[in-house]
Amino acid sequence: MGTQQQVMLQRPVAGLTLGAKRVLASPLALKIGAGILLLLAWEGVVRAFAPAYVAKPIGIARVFFTVITNQAFLAAAGATLGAVVMGLAMAIMLGMAVGLAMGRVTLVERGLRYYVNSLFATPMIAILPLVTLWFGYNADARLAVIVFAAFFSIAVNTSDGARSVPLEYLEVARSFRARPLSTLLDIVLPSSLPYLIAGMRLAAGRALVGAVVAEFFISIPGLGYYILFNSRTFKHNEAFVAVIALVVVGVSFEAVLNWVTRRYLPWARRD
Amino acid sequence: MGSEARWSRHVPVIVSLLAGAAVWELAAYFTTRAFWAPLSETLGSLAESARSGVLMRQALSSFQLYLTGLALAILAGAPFGLLLARARTLRVAFENYIMMLYATPMVALIPFILSMMGFGFAPKVLVVFLFAVFPILYNTIEGARSIRPELIEVAHAFRSNELQLWRDVMIPYTLPFAMTGIRQAIARGLVGMVAAEFFLSPSGLGQMIMMGSQNFDTAGLLAAILLIVVLGVCLMDLGRYLERRFAPWRGYE
Repeated sequence: MGTQQQVMLQRPVAGLTLGAKRVLASPLALKIGAGILLLLAWEGVVRAFAPAYVAKPIGIARVFFTVITNQAFLAAAGATLGAVVMGLAMAIMLGMAVGLAMGRVTLVERGLRYYVNSLFATPMIAILPLVTLWFGYNADARLAVIVFAAFFSIAVNTSDGARSVPLEYLEVARSFRARPLSTLLDIVLPSSLPYLIAGMRLAAGRALVGAVVAEFFISIPGLGYYILFNSRTFKHNEAFVAVIALVVVGVSFEAVLNWVTRRYLPWARRD
Repeated sequence: MGSEARWSRHVPVIVSLLAGAAVWELAAYFTTRAFWAPLSETLGSLAESARSGVLMRQALSSFQLYLTGLALAILAGAPFGLLLARARTLRVAFENYIMMLYATPMVALIPFILSMMGFGFAPKVLVVFLFAVFPILYNTIEGARSIRPELIEVAHAFRSNELQLWRDVMIPYTLPFAMTGIRQAIARGLVGMVAAEFFLSPSGLGQMIMMGSQNFDTAGLLAAILLIVVLGVCLMDLGRYLERRFAPWRGYE
């Protein structure tokens, strides 16, 4: 689809013999031009209307390299990233176990459906104060918020996936007298993987939000707290570098998931 | 057969809800009150705040914030998304940036909004708006991308003018996708609402949660969380309903 679209995009200028015009009208030039325009607009609006401390592109560019080589910033980024990865890993393991059980065992599904679906729909920020009551104001509370935020999207998607296993596959497994464990590992798990991937995509975003919110609330070192601290002391440019770092983390998760899907699960692409 | 089958299907659900209520009630007797409050106390606290009018006042304040932010996001997101759907040059120019903003965790911007705009109603609306607007834009653009060029070519071949093109091709085709975006916006806006009420000036249901935790009033805290859960479920159902309502001609699923 990508190439087809590019071909279509270039069609209007294909007749032009001038190379320069073609480059100017190419999608990439257009995108870069729009990006520059957005940055200029941001810079201009902030200069004209906002106080001097407000983040603007030139200010951010000026502090960018000092911030990303700063020890405190790197430690903060490491802390947040570590917590998110660990929380996601825990949520994926727990969520898959619960999701597979819900998808394949009717009793478990009927018993848990309401709870899992309801908590899936709940903004997990709301339980933040409760989690700090349970775990105290420390890194454990952040990890718990991340796990809570990510768990339900994994469980809901895995159970949808486990329920959508084609019946013929299960019948074949039964007629070959497959053991329940190998049915689970060789049939149910692979065919629910596309759903799991979709769940992980959702979970990664929620986990990141959970981590940032927990750091705001608990004031423990991390990118969220870095943003909070620096914006309180009116160093918006420095704080914004941390926002960029968060976007990069989010986009990288997405890229890794896409790559894994393409490389190892080519049948699982759902787009 | 129908009613009996339906009845037997509901039994496990009722049993599971009753079991959940029992676990909630009993959990409180195995922990200290700072950790967990029994369901009976939680519901009592909810009734008490409903009786004193606190609940009504805070819920209205939350709804006002949520609906204002969401309405602005829909009013801004849907037309702009449609414009990008029609104007391919604009779409190609901006789609990557919108995708990037869609992936940005908007909570991270709250401290900036706080120090620039302070504690009023407007900064909180901005938070809900930012949470909600990008899913609408992103999905509308996704929809626009999948409009088959033949449709527009046929419309042109039949000498449709711009108005007819919008009315008969663009809007019907992208509306289902915009609805998916609105469903996501309904959910994300709720997160934005709670975040704004926590981290900007405390108000509404967020303030009720905060006060419960600060006063070690676990029953009050759980009551407010329960309200958010119920609200989240209702809004998600509403979103799904809207999406289904406008999905029939979407052509897949």
